[in-house]
Amino acid sequence: MSKAEFICIHCPVGCKIIVENEEIMGNECKRGEEYVIQEMKNAKRILTTTVFIEGEQRMLPVKSDGEIPKELIKDCMRELAKVKARLPVKRGDVIYKTSTGINIIATRSMEKKQE
Amino acid sequence: MNDKKIRKRIEKIAKKISKDIMVRVENRVVYLEGRTNSWEDYLKLGILAGKIKDVKGVVNNIDYPGKKKMIRKQGGKEKVGEADVVIIGAGVVGCAIARELSKYEINVIIIEKAEDVACGVTKANNAMVHTGIGEKMGTLKQRLCVEGHKMYERLCEELNVPYEKCGMWIVLTKDSLKFKIPSFLANFIAKRIIPFIILRRGKKLGIPMKVVKRKELLKEEPNVTKDALVAVYSPTYGITSPYLLTIALAENAIENGAKIMLNTEVVDVMVKDSRIKGVVTTKGIIEAKYVINAAGLYADEIAEMAGAREYTIHPKKGATLIFDKEYGNYINHSMSLLRLPRTEHYKGGGVMLTVDGNIQWGPTISEVEDKEDTSVTADEIEEIFSMFSPLLPHFPRAVIAYFSGVRAATFTEDFFIEASEKVKGFIHVAGIQSPGLTAAPAIAKMVVNILEKEIPLEKKTNFNPYRKKPVVFRELSIEEKKKMIEKNPAYGKIVCRCEHVTEGEIIDAIHGKIPALNIDAIKRRTRAGMGRCHGSFCLPKVAKILSREAGIPLEKVLKDGEGSRLFIGKAKCLLEEK
Amino acid sequence: MFAGGKMKAGIVVIGGGPAGLAASLKASEYTDVMLLERDELGGILQQCIHDGFGNFIFGKMLTGPEYAEHFIERARDAGIDIRVGTTVLQVEGKKIVASGSDGILEIETKAIVLAMGCRERSRCQILIPGTRPAGIYTAGTAQRLINVEGVMPGRKVVILGSGDVGLMMARRLTLEGAEVEGVYEIMPKPGGLIRNVVQCLHDYNIPLHLCHTVVDIKGKKRLEGVVVAKVNEAMKPIKGTERFIPCDCLILAVGLIPENELSRQIGVAIDSRTQGPIVDERMETSVEGVFACGNVVHVHDLVDDVTIAGEIAGENAGKYAIGEFERIRKGKVIAGENVRYVVPQILRGMEDVTSYLRVEKEMENVKLIVSGKKTFEKKYRIVRPAEMVKVKVNADILTSNEVRIDVKS
Repeated sequence: MSKAEFICIHCPVGCKIIVENEEIMGNECKRGEEYVIQEMKNAKRILTTTVFIEGEQRMLPVKSDGEIPKELIKDCMRELAKVKARLPVKRGDVIYKTSTGINIIATRSMEKKQE
Repeated sequence: MNDKKIRKRIEKIAKKISKDIMVRVENRVVYLEGRTNSWEDYLKLGILAGKIKDVKGVVNNIDYPGKKKMIRKQGGKEKVGEADVVIIGAGVVGCAIARELSKYEINVIIIEKAEDVACGVTKANNAMVHTGIGEKMGTLKQRLCVEGHKMYERLCEELNVPYEKCGMWIVLTKDSLKFKIPSFLANFIAKRIIPFIILRRGKKLGIPMKVVKRKELLKEEPNVTKDALVAVYSPTYGITSPYLLTIALAENAIENGAKIMLNTEVVDVMVKDSRIKGVVTTKGIIEAKYVINAAGLYADEIAEMAGAREYTIHPKKGATLIFDKEYGNYINHSMSLLRLPRTEHYKGGGVMLTVDGNIQWGPTISEVEDKEDTSVTADEIEEIFSMFSPLLPHFPRAVIAYFSGVRAATFTEDFFIEASEKVKGFIHVAGIQSPGLTAAPAIAKMVVNILEKEIPLEKKTNFNPYRKKPVVFRELSIEEKKKMIEKNPAYGKIVCRCEHVTEGEIIDAIHGKIPALNIDAIKRRTRAGMGRCHGSFCLPKVAKILSREAGIPLEKVLKDGEGSRLFIGKAKCLLEEK
Repeated sequence: MFAGGKMKAGIVVIGGGPAGLAASLKASEYTDVMLLERDELGGILQQCIHDGFGNFIFGKMLTGPEYAEHFIERARDAGIDIRVGTTVLQVEGKKIVASGSDGILEIETKAIVLAMGCRERSRCQILIPGTRPAGIYTAGTAQRLINVEGVMPGRKVVILGSGDVGLMMARRLTLEGAEVEGVYEIMPKPGGLIRNVVQCLHDYNIPLHLCHTVVDIKGKKRLEGVVVAKVNEAMKPIKGTERFIPCDCLILAVGLIPENELSRQIGVAIDSRTQGPIVDERMETSVEGVFACGNVVHVHDLVDDVTIAGEIAGENAGKYAIGEFERIRKGKVIAGENVRYVVPQILRGMEDVTSYLRVEKEMENVKLIVSGKKTFEKKYRIVRPAEMVKVKVNADILTSNEVRIDVKS
């Protein structure tokens, strides 16, 4: 027997949905059901974070260019802690390819510091 | 009263509180030993002993459960310096003494345990330059306050420190008198008798004052409570900046040959044959002929190290609220609300203008056990509002900051300034609480007079009393600003948006005579982070400039001295740990 | 190159965040524009590295820097005179004095667009008692420290305030390896969007404690812990519910305040509820030729709405600068039942308008009623203070001296 609780994020109502023995309860509309099924089957998230920059103190913002399974996010963060980007970069440049196969791309363009 | 009489008197009181108290009196200094059940009882005994007539000092060694023991740090064994005079403590008093002594051909070293000057009692001072009207008649602190006040204008001019004679109202309202007398009588006393007494006292001390009727007061200060009956106006009341003054005093002393050692804590005082030989510090030994004890809250502990203890410091906390500059013009002069009888809890304070343009309310007063207790409690915040709201009932509650300071009070509640009779060359400058800021220049003169009796002091011919004013960008005209930026573009970069502090000013502070090497030290010098956003925008920028200029890795920048790291490490440092 | 000195500009936009960028771009279609930014372009978006921006305008979820860069690139191409690292010191009438490392700029302009954004409420403004050690940061500062400057503010963190910034920081700190002990919220409902509660807190099992606040701060040099307590209905701490939490970092996400020091200097009338300028539907303030947009007017939930407001302000400032703008200030909008505020507060009453409003309290199954010359009603399944309500109203309802908006069941 399993019981899980979700809050649907599709609209401001925020239905509290309970899943008990494969029965989905509490959703006010169809989208809630779809949301819960997706979350139960394979919850994935876009990862947004930063990486170091070679020779500079400031950070480069990056994101995964696809969704990553939720449980792999922490590993991915640890992996990225070792990455150092080289400037200049353009928004969208691939900075790193993670072990899960997902690319990490820059979310802003950055020139070398002129100072 | 002689020693014997004093002892008997105290023994009688002590018996009621605890059976385990031993009293010894020596040259009018009371030594209390033994045990009580609580800090409150310890305090009560000290205060009662201090109130007895003719008592000069109270050393309260009574133990109670949970009493903090003094822990002495390890001292350095190497000799690191020598001087004629060592001043312990770089608060406003220590620095004023150093500057006064730097007028003479004499070697002076100031020793300070913190990373900057003005970090103890001085920092949290309320910035008022008192006239002396509020002090108890005949006390040393009143005399030095009146004298100090007269020296301020010139001192601040020489040192280029802000000083304004902002004036002060002592307001009497319907609620000023809490005696149980009919209201017509209370009104009469408030309107006629009290102003007369204040005026007469002012005349005696040479303090100009005038009585102002309700109508005139309300015309001059339309935001004051309509319950006001009458006010006494004191036009010479002033305000300054306690830390800017202290920094300037120290810088000027250094310019004139004095030395300062920061981050250096005194752990022992060297005495041989009842004569001062020097001090042992965390950095090493400094040989000296004279030691001036201006250690503020720790003056008793320093005196103990010298074997010359004649007082115990009992810390008294005071909390103050600071309001948004937007309401800086709400009143034209500082003001206080007179309340009689004076209770222990309410000891003056008021609604004060500041040289920075903010209005502040406070301070409160409360005994605390811990000398480092600078917390502000919810009760204190409430108390401040309830103390001064009756004076300005509609003042907007736009608080931008609050702080507490701890007063270094002795049980006799007066300044304790004299050469020790027990240890030759040890000079007490203890018990300096309000009006210590005002009195500081007079205290310095007094200390020089004491020293003069011991050693010949020869005036320097090349003493320079002036200190160059640091650049304050926000005070410059547009034309002056243009010139400054042309000379150095860093003066064009605004770092603190609330107070318009530029990168140039921050760099100046970091590389100053007394380098500002942490965020708060920079803040005190430049006001970066003192505005309404309270540093939320400029903190990262100031930290970066400090890191770059002083060569400190960003993640190691301190807020306020040892142990106050702003950041725990570089980004991702916690991911590597796991 | 020394580029300071006296100069003229058709329009000066103060602030280069999303509002200022949008305003500059639109205004540049009419006349020459100077954009003054004290930091770098993009404003606070550059530190908001998470995604969720631009769903409305771009139809996809962008990160803050990505959203900003779209506009920055266009602004550069549009020939706008962009001055970064330049802070406005004072404004008198239409004369602006600004300071940068290039020198002092004295600019004479025809129209001004205010887009200075907002700032965070600090620990002192909400009167949290205690000591003043290192380790206490507003959420935005912490966000900048981690995401831009590359330093960690703490190891074990307590967050006060469950607005979106607080929620974002809970997730961000967790991802960076810190332990977020919990998020504490004085109100009985979370302050941020539900999506953020789920994706920032639930995803990482971070507890949210409603009806709680921080009542004491401990630690001398570095934060050693905080005391939290439950609050009653009057939001006062309940005695006996205090709990000490050892931590080395306290993050405050306790509200944003529009930054209107310059607006006040100009003499722009400020709405005491939004704490921003009173504007009409063309984003003109009470001072002719001075427009305002974005978080300086009122704190928005979505950057897309900020951009839209910026475009309106920019367009009308442009028209004003070239003399094609007629100032009409006719009707007033009244915030009625369960409405905390409405923007715009003043109506010209000549065109359709999107009204932005915030409700006082959460309500389910309500009607939003706009009553002017005619009455207009719209139903909502739920309204929350945390979520701005947007409602498009036709001009024919508005041609009245007073329009009132109520939200009732």
